[in-house]
Amino acid sequence: MSFNPGLVHTPLTPFLSDGRIDFELYAKSIEFHLRHGADSLAVPMHAGESVSLSDGERRSLIAFAVERADKRAPVIAHVSDAGTGIAAALAKHAQAAGASAIVATTPYYWTPPPGMILEHFFQIGAAVDIPFFVLNAPEDMAGSKINAALALKLIAKLPNFTGVVDSSLDWQFMIEVLTEASRLRPEFALLAGTELMVSAGAIGASGLFSALAAIAPKLVRELFDLCRAQKFYEARALQEEVAALRHIVKPGGVAALKAAVRAMGRDCGNPRPPLLPLEAGAAKMLAAAIEALPALAAESRSW
Amino acid sequence: MQNKFRGVMQSPVTPLKDDFSLDLPTFERLLDFHVRAGAPAISWPHHKGESLNLTIEERKLFAEAAVKVVSGRVPVTIHVSALAVEDTMALARHAQKIGADGILAITPYFWTPTLEAIEAYFMRLCTSIDLPVLSYNSPSYLAGVEITGELMACLIEKLPNFVGVKEASFNSEKFLEISRAALALRPNFAMLTGVEFLLPSVPLGGVGSYSAAGSICPNLCNALFDTCIAGEWARARELQFKMTRLWHLFKDQYPSSLKGGMVIMGRPVGPTRAPLPTATAERQAYIRTQLEELGVLDSEPHGW
Repeated sequence: MSFNPGLVHTPLTPFLSDGRIDFELYAKSIEFHLRHGADSLAVPMHAGESVSLSDGERRSLIAFAVERADKRAPVIAHVSDAGTGIAAALAKHAQAAGASAIVATTPYYWTPPPGMILEHFFQIGAAVDIPFFVLNAPEDMAGSKINAALALKLIAKLPNFTGVVDSSLDWQFMIEVLTEASRLRPEFALLAGTELMVSAGAIGASGLFSALAAIAPKLVRELFDLCRAQKFYEARALQEEVAALRHIVKPGGVAALKAAVRAMGRDCGNPRPPLLPLEAGAAKMLAAAIEALPALAAESRSW
Repeated sequence: MQNKFRGVMQSPVTPLKDDFSLDLPTFERLLDFHVRAGAPAISWPHHKGESLNLTIEERKLFAEAAVKVVSGRVPVTIHVSALAVEDTMALARHAQKIGADGILAITPYFWTPTLEAIEAYFMRLCTSIDLPVLSYNSPSYLAGVEITGELMACLIEKLPNFVGVKEASFNSEKFLEISRAALALRPNFAMLTGVEFLLPSVPLGGVGSYSAAGSICPNLCNALFDTCIAGEWARARELQFKMTRLWHLFKDQYPSSLKGGMVIMGRPVGPTRAPLPTATAERQAYIRTQLEELGVLDSEPHGW
C-alpha cells in the first residue's frame, strides 16, 4: 500500500468565544488551505488541539473536513489517544467517514515500553484498511518514541503501515527507519513532521506535515517544492526563513500559532483550556516579530 | 577565505600495547595511514581516542608525536577537553607551544554549567592562546548542556579565534539554530558534524565532519563528502546510508568496536582501556560479517 500525501497542511481548530468549535470558520480555513498550496489535510493534529477535543468532536471534525474537502485533497485523520481501543474506534470511524489515511503517535501519558507501543499501533492500524502513518514526536510525548526495530515489526504485522511522520528531527532515526523499512516495503514513506525539510528531504523524506502553513503557506510551499526537486542548496535560504518563523512561534505552542494567524488577518479565536492565549504583551511582540520577517511580505493577510 | 577545517577530518584512535600502555610506533603508523588515505585534517585525542582515559602527560606526549609525524601535510588540531578546566588550559598552551594548527574543546564536563559559565570558559580558553579554537557541542552526552545559537553568536562577536563547532546533536533544529546564528556573523565559521552526517548538514552550510569510521573506510568518508559538495544527492544518499550503518555498528561499545574492526582491516591497534571493554573475538567476528555485507573489505585499504 502506498500513499504519498505531499505537502500536508495541519489546520488549526477555531473556537467561538463560548469555546464551541466554530465550524463556519473551520470551513473557511479549509478553503484557505486548499487554495494556498495544501496537497492534503491532516485533522486535527496537535496544532489543531486534538487533545482538547471530545471524542464526538473529533469525529465531527474529521467528517466535516472530508465533506468540505470534497475530494479536492485527501484528508488524513489524526486518531492518537491514550487508550488503544479508543484510538482504534476513532480510526474505524475516520475510515467510514471517508478519510484517506490515518496517523497516530504513541499513547498519551503512559510512556509504555516498546512491546506495548507495538501492540497499541498494531491494534489501531488493524482497525482500518486505509494507509496508516505513525507519528514519531518524542518532544511532544514526554520522550516516548519509536525506533527502526519497531517499524520493522509493524511492517511485518500490518500491510497498511505506510510510513513514518518524523518530528524527532533525529538524523540517525530518519536514516535508519527509511533504509531498514524500505528494504522490506519499498514504497515505505518518510514524511517530515516539521518544516525543517532540507535535512529530511536530503535523507529522502517525500512529504511534509506543516502547521506553519497556516501562517505562511507560500513560503512553506516554495520550500517544499525546492526540496522535492532535490534543490537542497537552493532551498537553504528559504529553510533559514522558515526556521526563523519557527523560532518565533515554537516557544508559545498552539497559543502562539493562534496569535500568529490573528496577526496574519485570519483570526481563529483562542486556544481551549488548559492552554491559555498569549498575554497581550507577548502577542504584540510576536506580531511585531512576524511583521519583521521579510519572507512573509508576500503572504496573504486574510482568508 | 575558506576555513582550513573542512571535509571528513580524521581523529585517530589511541593504539595501546597489551599491557594498556601507549604504543607510540603504531600511533605514528596510524597517523601516516590517515594522511596517505586522504584525511583533510587530523585531530587527536577525541573521545574515540580515549582522551579521558589518558593522563595529561600521555596526552602531551602523543600530541607532540601527531604534530611531528603529520609534519604540516594537513592541519593538526588537539582536543584539549579534560575533566579539570585547569588541565584543559594547560593542554591548550601546550598545543600552541608544539605547533598545532588549532584546538578543539567541549563544554565543561560534569558540572552542567550555565550559559554564563560556558561563555566565561570559552572566553578564558580562547584568550589564553592565539590558535584557532573549534568548540564542541554534545548535549546528549552532557546532560543537555549545550551552546545555544545565541551564545555561539556572542562568542563569535567577542573572539576572533573562535572559528567553528563540532556539532554532535545530529538534529535538524539544533544544527540550523547554530548555523543560522554563526554563519550570519562569520561566513567561514566551520559548521562540522561530530560524525559523518554530511547529507543532512552540508546543504545547510555544513563544511564537513569528524569521523567515526575513518580508520576502517577512509575512501567512503571522502566519497561521501565529495558527492555532497557536488550535490549528487542520489549517490550521496546511498553513501550516507552505508555510513550510517557503520556508525550504528561502531557506536555500540565505541570505540572498542572500532578497534575490533581495525583488526579485520589489517590495522590492529591493541586493546581499549577500562572502563571501556575490549572487543572480544566473537564481537570481531560479528563486525567482520557486517563489513563483508557492506562491501567494505573490497572497497577500502587493507593493512597499513
